[in-house]
Amino acid sequence: MICLGIESTAHTFSCAILKKHDGKTTIISDVKKTYQPPSGEGIHPREASRHHIQHGPSILSQCMKLAKINIEDLNVISYAAGPGLGPCLRVGAVMARSLSSYYNIPIYPVNHAIGHIDLGKFLTGAKNPLVLLISGGHTMILSFVMNQWRVFGETLDITLGQLIDQFGRYLGFSSPCGKNIEKLSRNGTNYISLPYAVKGHDVSFSGLLSAAKHHSSKPEDICYSLQETAFSMIGEVVERALAFTEKKELLVVGGVAANTRLSQILNDVCVRQECSLFISPIKFAGDCGSQIALTGLLEATTPHHTPSKMENTFIRQSWRIDSVRIDY
Amino acid sequence: MIKKGAEGNIYLSYWSKNRALLKIRLAKPYRNNILDFSIRKHRTILESEMISCVKSLGIYSPLIYFVDIKKCMIIMQYIDGELVKNLSDNKIVDICKSIGKISGDLHKNGIMHGDLTTSNFILCKNKIFIIDFGLSSRTTKSIDHAVDLRLFKEILNSAHTPIMENAWDNFLTGYKQNVGLKYYNIIMNLVSNIEARGRYNNNLNMQK
Repeated sequence: MICLGIESTAHTFSCAILKKHDGKTTIISDVKKTYQPPSGEGIHPREASRHHIQHGPSILSQCMKLAKINIEDLNVISYAAGPGLGPCLRVGAVMARSLSSYYNIPIYPVNHAIGHIDLGKFLTGAKNPLVLLISGGHTMILSFVMNQWRVFGETLDITLGQLIDQFGRYLGFSSPCGKNIEKLSRNGTNYISLPYAVKGHDVSFSGLLSAAKHHSSKPEDICYSLQETAFSMIGEVVERALAFTEKKELLVVGGVAANTRLSQILNDVCVRQECSLFISPIKFAGDCGSQIALTGLLEATTPHHTPSKMENTFIRQSWRIDSVRIDY
Repeated sequence: MIKKGAEGNIYLSYWSKNRALLKIRLAKPYRNNILDFSIRKHRTILESEMISCVKSLGIYSPLIYFVDIKKCMIIMQYIDGELVKNLSDNKIVDICKSIGKISGDLHKNGIMHGDLTTSNFILCKNKIFIIDFGLSSRTTKSIDHAVDLRLFKEILNSAHTPIMENAWDNFLTGYKQNVGLKYYNIIMNLVSNIEARGRYNNNLNMQK
């Protein structure tokens, strides 16, 4: 079975082909292009969607070429139906619908966040992990219970990715700013006390962002302290969740998983809690078509699951992961 | 050592021939040490103060025997019981009513627990003991009290999924009994407010 996955929830447009043969799944191709906003600015949904419209078709053909297959060979098409930016989601959905109706290929709308987790599990081999999903759109701790991902803790306001990006843009970088902030923070030496907001298993970053913006110290020191404070908060809530659930695996997925300081902290947390750490490989930690293709493939190969009718191929900007029932 | 918690290690010990519990918040090497020590010290003081304070409200909690702020260590009474988290589903549902009452009492007296989960209550000889006040604070703000309730709801939903609804109903019944209908309504409104702030809660965002 061959599946095409189309991802277009935010700044990245990506297509990927996955193949399942004899019970073995392989990623055959994954091509992406990311919209880069001007320095100091965030993702403008309209501009990002224009970027996707402009580059979408060539990404699709590149992806097909790399996989050495034709569209007629596809058995399943899946697209990221949410959560994400409306105009961007629409681009991927329109492409998926057009291909599906013209070539008569079954179509599956996929939840982007679930795609992150499915791909993370697939690539790392984690079996029954506690999941830390950290990206520009999510900061959540999840565990799988009774056919659903259940939220064990999450951010009460902005996400970790937003915290870093918004502070980075304030310093004049362009999103995504993770790498720049990490680089600056390496030169920071003085720890400045910033608001540390852990509420049970939940975190809150908005006070930290304001405090960082209003601080007059050297940017290097603020970046350093911002990272230390925010990552320690994440480390603490993860540790609390591990101690509570007594899970033996931690899986980290999402764009911020690429940060080396954070993975160092999480590694320490896992050693303390005697648990194995699985981190998505950097290439597939951020948004990519493979995550959408894999979830599409998993759904399509589940018994009694039928593809969506064309009129039901929705997009949903706000679509919580814990509202989706999973049967595979 | 009997438990390696997220915050500290728990050891079984003795205090003048009584079985006692030693909780020590050891340094976390992954945290910046200035931040780390300030958190550990603050929480040790807070926890020992609060545990003693709630006793005067008639809430069952361990006796504090000894506190060492430099080592971030507390020696307290050993409560020989079972964590509510590990009890049978039926029992948890029942006990949630008492947990609701205890939470109501705390809030009425201007205390927020900060980590209201089923692993922070112990059933011992038919009495419910409350522990772990490291994240607590003195606050009469209703929004803070609502944060407590939301956390408990989140934990029921993720860790006790099959009994979530009954347990939550029972908790609320107990809570309402102790804070009164008027305050209960205010809090419930705030709980849905906080939930609406969570990301991607489309329908809830529409509510005021």
